[in-house]
Amino acid sequence: MIKIKKTDLHNFIEFLIKDYNVYAPADVGKKIAFKKINSAFEIRHDITNTHLSPKNVFFPQSEVMFQYSDDGLKIPERNEKPIAVWGMRNCDTSSLIMLNKVFGDAHQMPDKNMYKDPYWKMKYDNCLIFGQACNEPLSTCFCNWFDGNPFAKKGADVFVVDTCDHFIFEGVSEKGKAFLLKYKFAEEATKTDLDKIAELKKTAESYLPEKLDVKPLYNKMSQIWDEPIWDEISAKCINCGACTFVCPTCHCFDVSDEGKGKKGKRIRLWDSCMFQIFTREASGHNPRELSTQRVRQRLMHKYNYFMDNYEQYLCTGCGRCVQVCPVNLDIREVIKQILDYKISRNEDN
Amino acid sequence: MQQLVDKVKEIIKNKEVDVVIGWGRGSLPFSATPIFVETEKDAEKLIFDETCRNNLTTYLTKDKRRISKEYKKIGIVVKGCDSRSVVLYTVENQIKRENVVLIGIPCNGVFEKKKLSQLVDGKEILDFQIDRENIILKGRNFEQTHPLKEVLCDSCLTCQYPDAPEHDYFIGTPRKEVNVPDAYKTINEFGKKSSEERWAYIQEEYSKCIRCYACRNVCPSCYCPECFVDQNDPQWIGKTPEVTDSIIFHLIRNLHIAGRCVDCGACVSACPVDLDLRIMSKKVEKEIKERFDYTAGIDIHEKPAMASYCEHEKQDFIMG
Repeated sequence: MIKIKKTDLHNFIEFLIKDYNVYAPADVGKKIAFKKINSAFEIRHDITNTHLSPKNVFFPQSEVMFQYSDDGLKIPERNEKPIAVWGMRNCDTSSLIMLNKVFGDAHQMPDKNMYKDPYWKMKYDNCLIFGQACNEPLSTCFCNWFDGNPFAKKGADVFVVDTCDHFIFEGVSEKGKAFLLKYKFAEEATKTDLDKIAELKKTAESYLPEKLDVKPLYNKMSQIWDEPIWDEISAKCINCGACTFVCPTCHCFDVSDEGKGKKGKRIRLWDSCMFQIFTREASGHNPRELSTQRVRQRLMHKYNYFMDNYEQYLCTGCGRCVQVCPVNLDIREVIKQILDYKISRNEDN
Repeated sequence: MQQLVDKVKEIIKNKEVDVVIGWGRGSLPFSATPIFVETEKDAEKLIFDETCRNNLTTYLTKDKRRISKEYKKIGIVVKGCDSRSVVLYTVENQIKRENVVLIGIPCNGVFEKKKLSQLVDGKEILDFQIDRENIILKGRNFEQTHPLKEVLCDSCLTCQYPDAPEHDYFIGTPRKEVNVPDAYKTINEFGKKSSEERWAYIQEEYSKCIRCYACRNVCPSCYCPECFVDQNDPQWIGKTPEVTDSIIFHLIRNLHIAGRCVDCGACVSACPVDLDLRIMSKKVEKEIKERFDYTAGIDIHEKPAMASYCEHEKQDFIMG
């Protein structure tokens, strides 16, 4: 483990910028989100969690898949430097593992010949992820329900702890260790630093909510698909897409063609299962016409279908949806409501 | 708010309504949450305070009018702006007024979460306390006092109808005089800037839109069964979050709510990226006021500005 004085961080970031396009929490309008930075001074270190999730770094809200014209078809290639992301909390680094199972990591699937998404892979495969210890979880955080921890290193190449006056770096993956070896201006971390980290970890954990056993959620959800509980849960949902768009793990997209005359492009865009049009078919029929059906879909995808496909839940407990929901439909309460629900259906039916 | 609870219990008991939509305590310090009260027991959960942000009348027209199909008579707890939405629905023939029972409540304004967040520099507020004209904000390592006015919604600061002009029952004492210095001050100041400056501001602001449509979905005036952004055969507007597409969405939405916006501020509060949505909607409201002398949601017998025609109306916008 090495350490760098906080006041010297810009040297490290400049060193990183030489080889990477660096994304970090920074001001975007009145909010804080991950954006490409040109200098260490743009980074917001004083934050707890970014308002928008980092998924846009690897899975942009709008991405050109190809362009066409009289000259033929042009598929975008990535000629830029690889991506490094600074300042991702555990809820975000673990979301990348989930998204990578969908877009990139075909060997996780039963069928090894599954589709691998080139647009994701060209950004994600060579990236360097700087996980950062979450010193101060928010009251909306619940990462500990989903195997997360403010100081967990999963999904990070390098793990960074902000100890007030220093940043302590630990290489996690081979890629991360190799990168740290290249940087010559750091000191070795001492026992005092390790003690400080342990202390910070303890404090951070004390901010988390009581751990909830979510293992039974999968089975419970398998049994309640046609139960009236969904009407109760969805009653106040107004079907905007705020929760899905700030979620680090929601990854549904739409494909849209924009062309005029002989020129045009095909774009991939974030979509949301909360929208009516999401499932409307060409005939006009919509299998998820009602809010109830759409709310059920989102929750089933997170806590049931994803488990079927990838053996884990599609939620990291980052709490962003809790913060933005205009009607305070709190997913933590929904989870508890489902776990507590007594199935009304007669098993013979 | 025992009076509110008692009134709701009474109208449920008398079978005057099948359900009452009101606010209950939310899970976050500054969030009340919509609740649907069907029993006297559930009425105990009703609250009203500065956290009761949502315009609950929006449920009357949302999700294929689910609520109107499930219940015949619907009671709604309304602030001034919310009651104006019911007038809007009535004059636009979206509901029958007699099917809705309005429980009016005097409103001193509601909190704007984003203003609170700015005051504490993005830190998390875990609790608050109101002390007369002030609010004390408390977090893990801080406690700050601010004048209450600083944390109220902009809409509330210029509200002229805090006492639910349309109601069947009224709880509490109406607020007396409402002195609004100048409802269009911000708009007028913005209007004095050069068109380049204004365009630059609008572009900068709306480039942050993530097209989640929270503004549209919380808006009581946005009740089209199919929104123009969802028309894809043919597609009406580009779906990207690029500024040109986003501005078109907001411009069309604002023209569509011209003379129909009750300035409840629900869109502003719902926006997850804190866009200045009111810069457009308030401007449109002002134009309608000046050209047609019409204010949305006030007179339940008056035809809406955009649904009536009068020979003396100024037509310079047509003639150029």
